[in-house]
Amino acid sequence: MTDDNQIISQIRENTEKGFRLLMAKYKEPVYWHIRRLVVSHTDAQDATQDTFLRIFRSFSQYSGEGSFRAWIFRIATNEALRLLGRNQGKATLSLDEAPLVALTMVADSYFDFGNTEAIKLQKAITALPAKQQLAFNLHYYDEMSYREIAEATGSTEATVKVNYHFAKEKIIKYMNSNDT
Amino acid sequence: MEQNYDFSKIGKQMPYTVPDGFFDQLEERVMKEWKEDAIPAGESGKTKKSGKATVVRMALRAAIAIAACIALFLVVKKVLPQGDNTVTDDFDSVELAFNNLSTDDQDYLLEVYQEELILDNDLNNLNDLNNEESI
Repeated sequence: MTDDNQIISQIRENTEKGFRLLMAKYKEPVYWHIRRLVVSHTDAQDATQDTFLRIFRSFSQYSGEGSFRAWIFRIATNEALRLLGRNQGKATLSLDEAPLVALTMVADSYFDFGNTEAIKLQKAITALPAKQQLAFNLHYYDEMSYREIAEATGSTEATVKVNYHFAKEKIIKYMNSNDT
Repeated sequence: MEQNYDFSKIGKQMPYTVPDGFFDQLEERVMKEWKEDAIPAGESGKTKKSGKATVVRMALRAAIAIAACIALFLVVKKVLPQGDNTVTDDFDSVELAFNNLSTDDQDYLLEVYQEELILDNDLNNLNDLNNEESI
């Protein structure tokens, strides 16, 4: 997998080649990150497309300080929140929102209804407050450090740790319950 | 109730799926849209502009061009004597007004004139009105 610094240098040397490297590395992680937040495939597709276009257009604004991956995931999160907000007639949603989207609302063709354990886990995750959901997803699925998550969410490392801890406790409680 | 849950049982499995070939198509769509958005340097000699700014600039240019045309048309119409050949004069005055525009504005006006039925109709109505007045 191409190192982020190589991608940045390549974009500066040959923009198109650099952007293709960026997409090769990040199109799947960004899509799945957004999909876990917005749940619907169509919404995730739109928000992912907007995310990359925004990254390409605002690449010159990336200062080089901090993690490039955190910067990308911050844009992706904002696009997901913007899309969810639009769906509710608002400009965007805030991370202070209660759960963003309930999994029970799903009527998506691209959904494996047979994987009951995975559905239960996603139900538990999507029932969390937005900040806890983000902390859990980025640490569990994307294996980001607390520091990177803090950068991606505009928070502090300590707050992210607390959010992750609460999220995990709630998920464990739900997974051990008889709820489906 | 148990205080632990074995996350390794499920790992990173999710109930979500995507259509076949989705990620390749996504990449191509994004690259295509980005290329269309970014005007290649040297092709038009113009610098890249943001979508909103371009729309505002084009609308402003169109408004100025149309206003200039109408103003010049009215001025020339008042100055020139009215006769049997009014229709020809009208065309001459519009042509004169048009010639006084910058090349960019002329190009833009032609593009709008060809594509916009409303403007097309407006110009026809203007000519009809003028014919009625000359009768």
